[in-house]
Amino acid sequence: MALFMNSDDQLILEFQQGAREAFVELFERYREPIYGFFRRRLEHPARAEELAQECFLALLQNVQRYEPRASFRSYLYGIAIHMVAAERRKSGREVAENEKLDSRAVEGNAAENSDAGIWVRNALGHLEQSEREILMLREYEQLSYGEIAAVLRMPVNTVRSRLFRARAALKNQLLPVK
Amino acid sequence: MERNAQHAFDAEEVMAYLDGELEARRAAALAAHLVSCSECQEVAQGFRALSERMLSFEVERPSVGMNETMLAALNSSNSLKKTVPSGSEQNKPWNWRRMFARPYVWAFAGLAVVALIFYASIPNLLTAHKAAELAVQRATGLSAPLEDRQAFSATTFKTPTEPSGTDAIVGGAAPEPASPASGDELKAPENVGPMIVQTASLNILAANYNEASTAIEKLAAVHGGYVEKLGASAQTGNARALSATLRIPTKQLDGFLADVRKLGHVEREDRENEQVSDQYVDLQARLKSARATEQRLIELLGTRTGKLQDVLEAERELARIRGEIESMQGQSALLVHRVNYATVQVNLNEEYRQVLGSGTVSTGTKIRNALVEGFTNLEEGAVALLVFVFAVGPSLLFWVAILLAPGWFVWKRFRVRARG
Repeated sequence: MALFMNSDDQLILEFQQGAREAFVELFERYREPIYGFFRRRLEHPARAEELAQECFLALLQNVQRYEPRASFRSYLYGIAIHMVAAERRKSGREVAENEKLDSRAVEGNAAENSDAGIWVRNALGHLEQSEREILMLREYEQLSYGEIAAVLRMPVNTVRSRLFRARAALKNQLLPVK
Repeated sequence: MERNAQHAFDAEEVMAYLDGELEARRAAALAAHLVSCSECQEVAQGFRALSERMLSFEVERPSVGMNETMLAALNSSNSLKKTVPSGSEQNKPWNWRRMFARPYVWAFAGLAVVALIFYASIPNLLTAHKAAELAVQRATGLSAPLEDRQAFSATTFKTPTEPSGTDAIVGGAAPEPASPASGDELKAPENVGPMIVQTASLNILAANYNEASTAIEKLAAVHGGYVEKLGASAQTGNARALSATLRIPTKQLDGFLADVRKLGHVEREDRENEQVSDQYVDLQARLKSARATEQRLIELLGTRTGKLQDVLEAERELARIRGEIESMQGQSALLVHRVNYATVQVNLNEEYRQVLGSGTVSTGTKIRNALVEGFTNLEEGAVALLVFVFAVGPSLLFWVAILLAPGWFVWKRFRVRARG
């Protein structure tokens, strides 16, 4: 399939021209990453799936307004970040986010996560929100510094320094001090 | 993770190198350095271990249903521009929080408020406009035809047209007034009908000024009237103007006005009828009673004899009564004259044509005048601006504050949301 050879940015432009298979391809590429993005940030798997769907729907609906200013990935994750923020505001439990990250590991789907995973969740929960977001976008979504900067609308240097701080803090919690 | 300040690379650079975010030259240098520096190797190993450790935070795969939903949404969007409402959030019928979080809702609300204020103020504006129109109509005499208004003395509005003080009064040039016969004058014209003092005023723009100005005097004489007052002005660079107050016999008034209208373009015409019957009747009654008093005093003085003081007093009283009688007779005569002779005010203006080189003002003076005018305008403009700012400023600030506050709030929220 020729579409496999195309970059994300080419695909979204093709979809803008009306090529449906381009969207199907993009969806296939980002279905799991986007779900993972919401799943790691939200409590309930069902809600994560709903939001992932909404994220793709938003992409579908607003494709005509898409402008290739930054990479497609930063555009897509920008939508996702926006939705998570809205979801947290809506649930009104943003303040208690840290505690939630702690607790849900225990009560949620502990079966699917190893002990190590639960530890990581706990540790992430203790990070400052902006640093946690940068770290997660880097480690799980594999975004470059530039893409993270575009998604969170901050300078690249800030991304780098905060990422370093986040990693240092997490390392202190997770890895044994030598 | 504390590093020696003397070290060539700090831990953050090592991290950036591992992330592939270090610029090529620096990355090559760091790669070479890493081979030999055990400290940096340790740091790098720490980052790698952390990344591996973080990967243990796994999530399950999404359900297959998600695929189907999305493909259905894609298929149902016939046109890509069409919105595809699906998913739990969109299916909710109404969400106030979402609605109020949208900037355009606030913008629309702001517009609606402004529109409402305009809507509320428009009736007032219209009323004021109508009143102004009505006033203009009344003043220009458009509200009713002249013939109709003759019957309604009270509804017409008099517009005083007095000759300006700068006009050269050439009253001496006016023909000798055709002095009305005094015997006729004292008689009331028709004792049966109402006594009406008529006043007319005409503004005429004449193409041929000389002809028109002489014609006015002639016309007055032809119709049995006379010129009461005549003023003319002729300034250099300006159109000539003539202002005449004429007295025309009431019966001849319509004919005279018709003739005057032919002199040029009538710019404005006013007529006013004042009912003076009651004044006249009152005056006559007082005159009659005064005459009776006079008669009785004469009889008293002729028949009775008494003290000298009494006689003197009676004579004084007689003199006072006679003075009153004469004054009342004069008033009565004047009233009758006013009724018999209508007052016509004619303002004749020349249709001015600019003559080349007619100006007597030198160029230097013109420039100086222009300069003075320029400075005056500047000063007036500045004052007007200040007046405007002081007059409108506070309310403008008020409205700006009222409208900006929600806008600022929306912007703030929008920014916060954008930052996530």
